[in-house]
Amino acid sequence: MKTNFEGVESRRTFLKGMAMTGAFSAMSGASANAQTPNPIVPDTTAEKAGSLADFQAPRRPMGKTGVEVSILGMGGYHLGTVAGQPEVNDMVAKALDHGINFFDNAWEYYKGASEERLGTALKGKRDKAVVMTKVCTHGRKKDVAMRMLEESLTRLQTDHLDVWQVHEVVYYNDPERCYAPDGVLEALTAAKQQGKVRFVGFTGHKNPAIHLAMLNGGFSFDTVQMPLNPFDYSYRSFQREVLPLAAQRGIAVFGMKSMGGSGEMIVQGALTPTEALSYAMSLPGVSTTISGMDSMRVLNQNLEVLRHFKPLSEEEISALRTFGKQFEDGRYELFKSTAKYDGELGRTQHDFPSPTELPA
Amino acid sequence: MDAKRIYLSEMIPLRNFGKTEVKISALGLGGHHLGAAKDETTAVEIVRRALDGGITFYDCCWEYNRGKSEDWLGKGLKGARERAFVMTKVCTHGRDASLAMQMLEQSLRRLQTDHLDLWQIHGVSFQNDPQLFIRPNGAAEALQKAKQQGKVRFVGFTGHKDPDIHLAMLDTGFPFDAVQMPLNPFDANFFSFEKKVLPVLNNRGIAALGMKPIGGHGEPVQKGVFTAEELLRYSMSLPVATTISGVSELPILEQNLRIAQDFAPLSPAEMKALSDRAKPYAGDGHFELYKTSIKFDNPEARLAHDFPLDLQQVEVKQMIYATQNSGKPYPQVSD
Repeated sequence: MKTNFEGVESRRTFLKGMAMTGAFSAMSGASANAQTPNPIVPDTTAEKAGSLADFQAPRRPMGKTGVEVSILGMGGYHLGTVAGQPEVNDMVAKALDHGINFFDNAWEYYKGASEERLGTALKGKRDKAVVMTKVCTHGRKKDVAMRMLEESLTRLQTDHLDVWQVHEVVYYNDPERCYAPDGVLEALTAAKQQGKVRFVGFTGHKNPAIHLAMLNGGFSFDTVQMPLNPFDYSYRSFQREVLPLAAQRGIAVFGMKSMGGSGEMIVQGALTPTEALSYAMSLPGVSTTISGMDSMRVLNQNLEVLRHFKPLSEEEISALRTFGKQFEDGRYELFKSTAKYDGELGRTQHDFPSPTELPA
Repeated sequence: MDAKRIYLSEMIPLRNFGKTEVKISALGLGGHHLGAAKDETTAVEIVRRALDGGITFYDCCWEYNRGKSEDWLGKGLKGARERAFVMTKVCTHGRDASLAMQMLEQSLRRLQTDHLDLWQIHGVSFQNDPQLFIRPNGAAEALQKAKQQGKVRFVGFTGHKDPDIHLAMLDTGFPFDAVQMPLNPFDANFFSFEKKVLPVLNNRGIAALGMKPIGGHGEPVQKGVFTAEELLRYSMSLPVATTISGVSELPILEQNLRIAQDFAPLSPAEMKALSDRAKPYAGDGHFELYKTSIKFDNPEARLAHDFPLDLQQVEVKQMIYATQNSGKPYPQVSD
């Protein structure tokens, strides 16, 4: 155990901020546990001892909104790839049973199928869930946004959203377009006034500078979503450049791409799911970590991680960052450096060529 | 060497090289495209014509076209070395000073000269480049040593990736004489070297060298967004010592020479009109893929950094293709 007094103190402070006092004990030298596949955080996904029955996911304040959300949220994109509606229903029900109350989505995911699936699965359970979806104007105006809102509400079978975010703010001129007269930010304000959404924010995966331009433009965002993982610390870093500002302003932060967007970090053996999720869920100032789950199997795996979760110590966080420094070329975060994760609709709406048409 | 040597040609406006009294032409000849000329005769002719047309600044690089660019530039400058301000770049990509010194000897031999006017670190593109540069036994020590030995007059660095990496290089405290960066109306709008780096250089009296005035491969001209003249004049109107533009064919050189010889700086209003016109295209940087994709990350630089090349990725394939490089391990330096 290397935790010094200062480290313990600052952890206490941050845990208090997350209303989780008592839910931790200082992590011992976990890295000494040689039989686990990773050197930094013990892998808990395979542990079957004990029962999930009584387990409830920890919750944290969603910024200064007064809402509390589970520290892990269910990503909406991957709901579109689940085998069928019955499995989605089971997954959502099981997630709710264990206190996972945050559900992510977007108007454009699988041409609306992700929203429809979530809406069906939440039927009769809407009041237990914090439902977020995203509006996909990609630079277009308020009227387009308001039409999308109505479609999202219909698909999600609800009369209001808890959070409505501008999707994929990834182009360098997006902040200017959002802030333009009659732009999407005016739609956020109008929807809030009409009682159709409670809180508003934006999301993007490209560059901290774009997030900062949004945050510093004068609009009062309740939430902001960004990629957060140990490798982000060394490459175009949201956790260094954006997270502290959001936390300071009391804006709720939703982490995403904790495993690289499509699990690249896991598949290629750079991190275990336990490390990836534990890291993202341990960062001070983060309300929830949105993780895509394409099957009951993945949900179960995540629940195991969650059940064993103890916030990482500063030493563990620091060890993961140090380990991640070797990937500072951004190889596991291609959403920042390439067009790989930039959606086709966004490109079209910006009059940008599709990646295949870019100059050779 | 006379540190105050002043080049005589004034067909193209001359400018001070940073805070020194040395003068260089406001248009420079790029070395990469020179090595892509159809043959050696054409390349030599291009250099000769550039000299006669008033270009005194010659860019090159140890790794361009596997040494062909330096070879051909050396042949073109034969007998005219004193009329040229010769720059080449060293391609350590994070490796150590002794490798840099070996590369220097090779560059001098290919360029058929006993000294360089400017020697720059090539391709500063990765987050850890500043740290690798300044570490003990890093390339910084080679720059100083080469200067002390009289083999180079001035030293600098270049890169096209991220203004913040340029600033981190400047923050190492190393006394750079020159810094090279992409400057064009697209850059003015995002991830901007013009906004973030150029003022620092001007403030410190470091010679600012602009590159990629027409976007690297001329795409904005081919697509009809700008004329070459508009783009060249934009870059040349910025507070820079020179703007480096590469050509592979004589007719394009003639066009560039005419623009440079007739050069008059654009007014602030004209500059703004050009950067405003670029703005709608600048959002995803599709005319500046060196910033916004990994397509122009040099595969050999990645390997030198021990960064992998994942050949399953589309952009890695484009990267390999773009540099016409095999992706095989970096060639050994040998005599």
